[in-house]
Amino acid sequence: MGGLIYNELLKITGRWRSYIGFIGIGILMPLILWGFSWGGNEIHETYARQLSDTFIIVGSVFNSLLATYIILNSLWIHIPFLVTLAAGDAVAAEGSGGTFRLILVRRISRFKILMAKLLATWIYTAALILFLALMSLGLGSLWLGTGDLIVFDKGILILDKNEAWLRMGLSFGLAILVMFTVAALCFMFSTMVDNGIGPIIGSMFLIVIGYIIISIPLDLFKRLEPFIFVSYFNVWRLVFQEPIPWGQIGQSLGILFIYTSVFIGISIFVFLRKDIKT
Amino acid sequence: MILRTENLTKSFKGRKAVQDLSIEIPDGSVFGFLGPNGSGKSTTIRMMTALIKPEVGDVFINEISIRKQGHRALKQVGSFIERADFYKHLSARTNLEMLARMDGASPRKVSEVLKRVGLGQRAEDRIKHYSQGMKQRLGIAQALLTDPKLLILDEPTNGLDPQGMKEVRDLIKNLQQEGVTIFLSSHLLDEVEKICTHVALLNEGKLITTGNIEDFLNTAIGTTEIRALPLDKVKKLLKGLAWIQNCEVRENSLWVAVSSTRIPDILKILIQNNITVEAVIPRTTLESVFLSKIGTGREI
Repeated sequence: MGGLIYNELLKITGRWRSYIGFIGIGILMPLILWGFSWGGNEIHETYARQLSDTFIIVGSVFNSLLATYIILNSLWIHIPFLVTLAAGDAVAAEGSGGTFRLILVRRISRFKILMAKLLATWIYTAALILFLALMSLGLGSLWLGTGDLIVFDKGILILDKNEAWLRMGLSFGLAILVMFTVAALCFMFSTMVDNGIGPIIGSMFLIVIGYIIISIPLDLFKRLEPFIFVSYFNVWRLVFQEPIPWGQIGQSLGILFIYTSVFIGISIFVFLRKDIKT
Repeated sequence: MILRTENLTKSFKGRKAVQDLSIEIPDGSVFGFLGPNGSGKSTTIRMMTALIKPEVGDVFINEISIRKQGHRALKQVGSFIERADFYKHLSARTNLEMLARMDGASPRKVSEVLKRVGLGQRAEDRIKHYSQGMKQRLGIAQALLTDPKLLILDEPTNGLDPQGMKEVRDLIKNLQQEGVTIFLSSHLLDEVEKICTHVALLNEGKLITTGNIEDFLNTAIGTTEIRALPLDKVKKLLKGLAWIQNCEVRENSLWVAVSSTRIPDILKILIQNNITVEAVIPRTTLESVFLSKIGTGREI
């Protein structure tokens, strides 16, 4: 299995499309951090104004941790797109490239090949999120420094530096798990077609529709919300509550796990029965 | 039999691509698989290699069912199907190393097969810099990674120059001498005639005929050129015979459609009638037999 995953990683790293996400983050993060380094005072003043009645602020509240928290909040709906760029090609590119005729005529079962592809897609997904973490927290710490984290989310939460780092780590871990669901969705579409664009469009369409439904304050849509997997994508934010709502995190992850399993189940069903005509 | 198909049937959108196909590939043979475009050759080959699932029937390789245990059945099979498509952004060696990892073959085997198809010097080049002919050779190389007992080749000489074609032909002959059974689909009937020991002919998804190539050519109604004088008298004599299907004068010869087993009878008749016989030349080729079975005007 290790050899198969290595093969798949070679294919992913050989496609230019796989680098779009890394290049995007690599360009965007320094730009955002540069913007924060100039406008950080403005954010500090906004925070200080809101906290000055209760707290005495010493130094600046603005640092890499707060910058990362803000970045994650604003970028979160865009990250799935970057994930789908590799997941969309995972299976479909073999169809369009005619290479199914090379790999499916060998002694390895289709199931193993599919699993290797899925695991390689997940490794890529994790690498992308870790790169985002490295750029925002690593580069951010060098540029903006580090310190305590103050967040406003159902109240004010002030986390000391060590606790903040721990929670950031947890939040990126959860973010990776959420993106595994996105990757599995796109992967499922990838087993159904022979071009890599269709799965990207299909996945983003479902995700955007999901975001729209959960953001419209209508009773009907509110009732639908528990069934829409997109509504669990913000699970990473839950670690910035006090106390951490582990029950809610577990429930969200459980539901995402069910969705992921369904997506993978459909992928297996389709792929094992797929006639290779290309 | 190293491979046999049993009542193989497959339809696409209601159109039967392959119907009730049963063929047997003897061990050690070079088996030519012939048929016009759209006759179901590719679909059959894809069913043989587990790329397409048959609706009805099965393929057995060494008596292991492709339907039930596809990847196990393919353990001793090397195949090269239709076009040589590889991962273009990777080198030939990396491509083969990836496939070798799937086959459980050693990296040394990769160098060996690259050398065998004459690509040893270009192994580090990316596929996108390869010519069609080089890709075809690489396609054959990847099929040899597992030291297969059965090699399934679908149009292996496509895109090759005459020298390349000869090299592939020689390679196939060498492999056969090493005990490898070759299943070869090609529209180059001349090629097939030169190297195959057995053939099967497919048309509109159905098996027309199959068997040893010598029997195939001998029993089939082929063409024979007769140079004899007076030509008009020869034509008159032969035209009335029931076992002669066509009789036509072209330049200074008479061309008759007849089974080659009947040539002694023709000679006997001509001599008995005091005809001066200059030459009786069997002109039966696989192509002429093929066209007579399929009907002329079809693209092979």
